[in-house]
Amino acid sequence: MTLLQGTLDMLVLQTLRLGPAHGYTIARVIEQRSDAFLQVEQGSLYPALNRLEDRGWVDSYWATSENNRRARYYRLTPKGRRQLERESEQWTQLVRAIGLVMRPIED
Amino acid sequence: MFRFFRRGRLDAERAREMQAHLDHYIDDLIAGGYTRERAVREARRRFGNPSAIREEIYEMNSLPVLEVLWRDLRYGFRMLRKTPGFTAIALITLAVGSGVNTAVFTVVNGLLLKSLPYPEAHRLATVNTLIKSPTRGQNDNTAVDGNIFLAIHDNATTVDSAIAAGSFGGAVNLVAGGVAASVRQQRVSAGYLSILGVPPLIGRDFQADEDRGGGPPAAILSYELWRRTFASDPNIMGRTITLRGEPYTVVGVMPRGFSTGANADLWTPARPSRTGEGGGTNYHMVVRIRPGFTWQQADAEVAQLGSPAALAMFSDPGDRTAWSRLVPLQQDATAEIRQPLLMLWGAVGLVLLTACVNLAGLLLARSATRAREIATRMALGSGRAAVVRQLLVETGVLALAGGALGIGVGWAVLEALKTLSTNVYSVGYPVELDSRVLAVTLLIALVTAVVFGLVPALQASRVNVQGALAEGGTRGVSTATARWPRRLLVVGEIAMTVVLLVSAGLLVRTFVHLRSLNPGFDPSNVITATISLQDKRYEDPARIVRLFEDSLAEIRRQPGVEAAGVTLGLPYTRLLNMGFGRVEGRTEENKAAGTNVSYVTPGYFEALRLPIVKGRGITDADQSAAQPIAVVNERFAEKFYPGANVVGLHINVAQRRGDGPRLIVGVVGNARATSSGLGGDDSPLPEPFVVYVPATQTSAGFFNLVHTWFSPAWVVRTSAPLSGASESIRQSLARVDPLLPIAKMESMATVQGDALSQQRFMMTLVVGLGALALLLAAIGIHGLIASTVSERTRELGIRLALGATGTRVMREVLLSGMALATVGLVIGSIAALIAVRLLQSFLWGVTTTDPITFAGVVITLLLVAFLASVIPAWRVLRLDPALTLRAE
Repeated sequence: MTLLQGTLDMLVLQTLRLGPAHGYTIARVIEQRSDAFLQVEQGSLYPALNRLEDRGWVDSYWATSENNRRARYYRLTPKGRRQLERESEQWTQLVRAIGLVMRPIED
Repeated sequence: MFRFFRRGRLDAERAREMQAHLDHYIDDLIAGGYTRERAVREARRRFGNPSAIREEIYEMNSLPVLEVLWRDLRYGFRMLRKTPGFTAIALITLAVGSGVNTAVFTVVNGLLLKSLPYPEAHRLATVNTLIKSPTRGQNDNTAVDGNIFLAIHDNATTVDSAIAAGSFGGAVNLVAGGVAASVRQQRVSAGYLSILGVPPLIGRDFQADEDRGGGPPAAILSYELWRRTFASDPNIMGRTITLRGEPYTVVGVMPRGFSTGANADLWTPARPSRTGEGGGTNYHMVVRIRPGFTWQQADAEVAQLGSPAALAMFSDPGDRTAWSRLVPLQQDATAEIRQPLLMLWGAVGLVLLTACVNLAGLLLARSATRAREIATRMALGSGRAAVVRQLLVETGVLALAGGALGIGVGWAVLEALKTLSTNVYSVGYPVELDSRVLAVTLLIALVTAVVFGLVPALQASRVNVQGALAEGGTRGVSTATARWPRRLLVVGEIAMTVVLLVSAGLLVRTFVHLRSLNPGFDPSNVITATISLQDKRYEDPARIVRLFEDSLAEIRRQPGVEAAGVTLGLPYTRLLNMGFGRVEGRTEENKAAGTNVSYVTPGYFEALRLPIVKGRGITDADQSAAQPIAVVNERFAEKFYPGANVVGLHINVAQRRGDGPRLIVGVVGNARATSSGLGGDDSPLPEPFVVYVPATQTSAGFFNLVHTWFSPAWVVRTSAPLSGASESIRQSLARVDPLLPIAKMESMATVQGDALSQQRFMMTLVVGLGALALLLAAIGIHGLIASTVSERTRELGIRLALGATGTRVMREVLLSGMALATVGLVIGSIAALIAVRLLQSFLWGVTTTDPITFAGVVITLLLVAFLASVIPAWRVLRLDPALTLRAE
């Protein structure tokens, strides 16, 4: 399943709303929350994270993970939180609009 | 943006991060029952290619343009290093082309473009007066008389004005601390320095009372004189120095580097007046437009005040009209050098163009030999734009390196120019390299590279990929069309060289002609010593005459001295103009005429071996009280008394009050002089008409007036070696008056040579430029033939194998070079015929179509073209057919 352009960024930001997470966790969460429907190519997460960090929507730090490994954690910045709000609102509207168009046609 | 610079470190971090990701995944998979091996494989599969992802991120963090540029730069450097021959020739070509241009542009910039080194220099002007008459023609006078100056100075409301007086022969005698020195003085009126807008470093400008006849004598020193002669004495103000035999009080020192445009060591008040010096046009005005007034307002007022005063110069103006007007000071200060400088710039431009053409040729040749490399790159997917960009960057690297070298060359050429032009042009403003010049040089180099690099780059990118690869680049019969642009360039280069060489040839011919003119006397073994007599101690004629007699007697006692005399005007210098009147045959039309006048002592004609054609010379018998006499030269006799015997006639010239007319007692031969604007053709070395009068029979007024402008010269013919003789003359003069410094001591041959210093300067420069252009053209021809031979190696090899003789093939290659040279010669000769018309005013004794010059240029160029073609063509003879065919 290919993602719509730009939606991966939104999904990553939404995931981080649950709290700081490292890349692997983010990938797992997206898979799980979509009932394993969205199978992201996990590597493609990283260009997205690079971009989000570059825009100042997330920042990152190194910490020890639950598996006792060094991992890089990402967390939402206030700016990222606002961005997420904007994007999810737009997304809701888009889904609603598409839903309206796609509703069964009554004769 | 910041990630761009940190991306190396970021990349390593990213790699660690992704490894951690994989490790976590593997942990989970193993926990879920996978074997380690399967877990690793599965994790990798789901993750994707880490290197590709890292690369993607790396690209995201980079600035694509810079990145590509950097890559191209590195590649360009590598390519240039791989072909040191090409790189060296290209760099030299660029360095020479832009360097020479830098030097000359520096001079143009310093003198013509940059404003004069005064505040608000655009508000400074001088006053010129145009006297026009329908019957007598017109005369634009750059100098004014006292009347014009005072009319403007005293009445103008729009301008402040002042004058400088006596602009030539400014050497005067300075005695300070018992040591006599000859210094250059400029006399300026009060306010002159303030008008220029440069306040003295210490002290003040002249005040009105110092600028009036009989006022307190004051002097302002230049910084350099103050440092050199007075050891930067801070208490110099108020100190008395002896100048021209008179005590002067130092009232100011100007700041370092200050110049009025004249090379002056010190300034004294000019004391402008309406009589004496101010009775003639001997003042040079400087005006500054007062704040609040426009140039037009000031110009109108100057015309209104100055024009009537200018017309008043004539007792009977007749149909004359006068128009005084403002001329920008800069234009005035550079009038003398503007034309030669612009000519020079044109010539240098041609050299630069030749250099550019050469560079374009080199680049074309290079792109031809690189066709295969370019084809390979394009076959591997490089776009055409990328290839063009790469070639342009390569050229840019070359251009910037060449430009940087060019600045070095430019600096060296500029220093040489300065040395060469010393005492040639009297422009006293400093000329230095500055940022504007450097910017122009680099710009020239860059534009050269881009423009002349673009054509070859575009041509190269049109490579037929398949053809070039299949053909193997250097094999087969190379197509003739590919060489056409280069041929045209070489033809153009030769044509430009022809123009330069013809110009150089004409200037050389002019110089040779002027050098070979008969001086009219024997300049060998003659020493001249010039001494300023603008000196308080030498105002009395008796005193002056005694100085002459005593010193000459002393000099004549020196071993080897054959004859010695004093004159006001040496040959090969500018002579004094004066009015004279004839007694016999006087008519209304000829009653006022001008002639060149010189006073001389007995022994002068003998010292120069100026032949006495008729009558006698000037002798010891021509004492003050004796019959006033004159000796004229042949030109004078022909001009004013054609066909008549002048000996025994009378003229009035430089008369003492109460004396009768002078009796012409003899006629001497003509001697060359530099142009005084009177009594010759416009040639730089005319034979003017001259009246010689005995020094003993002139008035104090005459002496004092002419000595403010001219310094008399002692002329000594000796059989002793000149250096030793100079020293003994120096000592003889010092014994007569130890406080009289010698301003200049030169052999007559040097005086003669100096008279042509401007011509020599122009000639040297244009010949140098012509030689450079010739060299560049030779490089161009050589390069073309060499690459033709290497491109056609296989073809030539086949022909040799089929039985063509080496000499025949070589002759063919050679002929192609000579054909180009011939075409270039024809085009260049036509262009030269048109271009040298601009040179007209610099040429003497030679026509612009001088066949000797043209023939010389044609032969030289054919010879050089032959040599430049024969060297690479020689390689044909060494070709081994078998080897050539097997190659590749």
